Amino acid sequence: MLSRLILVSAPVLKSSAPLGAGLVQASRSFHTGQQSLAPVPALPEKGGKVRFGLIPEEIFQFLYPKTGVTGPYVLGTGLLTYLLSKEIYVINHETFAAASIGIVIVYGIKKFGPSVAAFADKLNDEKVAKVQEVKGLAVSNLQQAIEDEKKEQWRAEGRQNLFDAKRNNVAMLLEINYRERLHMVTSEVKKRLDYQIALQNLQRRMEQEHLVSWVEKSVVKSITPQQEKESIAKCITDLKMLAKIEQARATV
Amino acid sequence: MILSFFDQFMSPTHLGIPLIALALSLPWILIPTPTNRWLNNRLLTLQAWFINRFTQQLMLPINLGGHKWAVLLTALMLLLITLNLLGLLPYTFTPTTQLSLNMGFAVPLWLATVIIGMRNQPTAALGHLLPEGTPVPLIPVLIVIETISLFIRPLALGVRLTANLTAGHLLIQLIATAAFVLLPMMPTVAILTSVVLFLLTLLEVAVAMIQAYVFVLLLSLYLQENV
Repeated sequence: MLSRLILVSAPVLKSSAPLGAGLVQASRSFHTGQQSLAPVPALPEKGGKVRFGLIPEEIFQFLYPKTGVTGPYVLGTGLLTYLLSKEIYVINHETFAAASIGIVIVYGIKKFGPSVAAFADKLNDEKVAKVQEVKGLAVSNLQQAIEDEKKEQWRAEGRQNLFDAKRNNVAMLLEINYRERLHMVTSEVKKRLDYQIALQNLQRRMEQEHLVSWVEKSVVKSITPQQEKESIAKCITDLKMLAKIEQARATV
Repeated sequence: MILSFFDQFMSPTHLGIPLIALALSLPWILIPTPTNRWLNNRLLTLQAWFINRFTQQLMLPINLGGHKWAVLLTALMLLLITLNLLGLLPYTFTPTTQLSLNMGFAVPLWLATVIIGMRNQPTAALGHLLPEGTPVPLIPVLIVIETISLFIRPLALGVRLTANLTAGHLLIQLIATAAFVLLPMMPTVAILTSVVLFLLTLLEVAVAMIQAYVFVLLLSLYLQENV
């Protein structure tokens, strides 16, 4: 166990912050491998496996080919017996003290070990969860932004229809305006032409009337008094004849 | 070989080389340095959590000027707890049973708090010598008493730690010896004694942690008064 402690603490001492960079150089005395401190190599998921909480599995694996499964246990028992019988380790009052503190330690670890480990894991998990939450929030915000953007694109497409409708509107207004002006122009022109026609008609009528009155006047003027007397005498004779005819018709 | 019960407290030397330096520096190997990783293994996570919580709790009642002492006090606490708990293992030497070591911690730190108080706020520091609301005739006597109590503080700090740990270790040795000696003669009594030993061990574990905490707490209290 102490060997593993030394194995563990050496790189830790090496990587202590102010000396870290320098010691990386120092450990590269044979120029093996890459010279860089990043990316940091991954930590093993679990600690080294131990049996009885003290003896690393590596010893059991090491002895397995020669002595099988019971090898290390026999070694341990033999070693213990040797130390005790040769009184290399003397049993004295310290043994009792060792036994009692040993019981306290083992009991403490068995009882509180899992809960303390769970607490440490919880601390780490909370740390990760806090950061994941930030990341998750950012991801959901971005997704929301993507959806909003898609909606805006759809709206932008719809705007084309709006423009077409407006364009039609404007074209129609222009057409109406044009036609109105055309109509106005034709009516004005027609008014002008009607005036000319009316003027011509008036001219002709006046000429006619003037001619007729002139002809009458000249006729009346041409009737001499002689003709007048003759016409009146004729009329009287015509009338007398008519009266005789009438009287004749009446008596018949 | 005549082994007295006080041999466990002798400062260890080997071939004339004092080993107290090793006894004080090797326990630090058990406290791993934080790495530059974001997520660590369980030991480092727990250690970081403990150190952060402890420092936060310790510095709560102390105003900003005293926060310079945070690292010192937390490191002192870690050292004392580690030394005390490691000393409970068999065949180990506990440096904190040596009065010289504890006085070496207590006197300079206490003196530092007093000097800081006298230098920065002499009136307030001297004002601590007279509790509020004392009747006027008692004032001279009380000043003398408070001064004596002020100067006894480092002594008390050092001796408290030494005495507690020494007494505890001694008791463990004595009761273990009693159980060991009684085992061939009266096994039942030996078993009773072993039970007492077991309970005492539990107490000693508690005492080890509490005494370290009390040492640091009192120092923080003295700091609070003076900073």
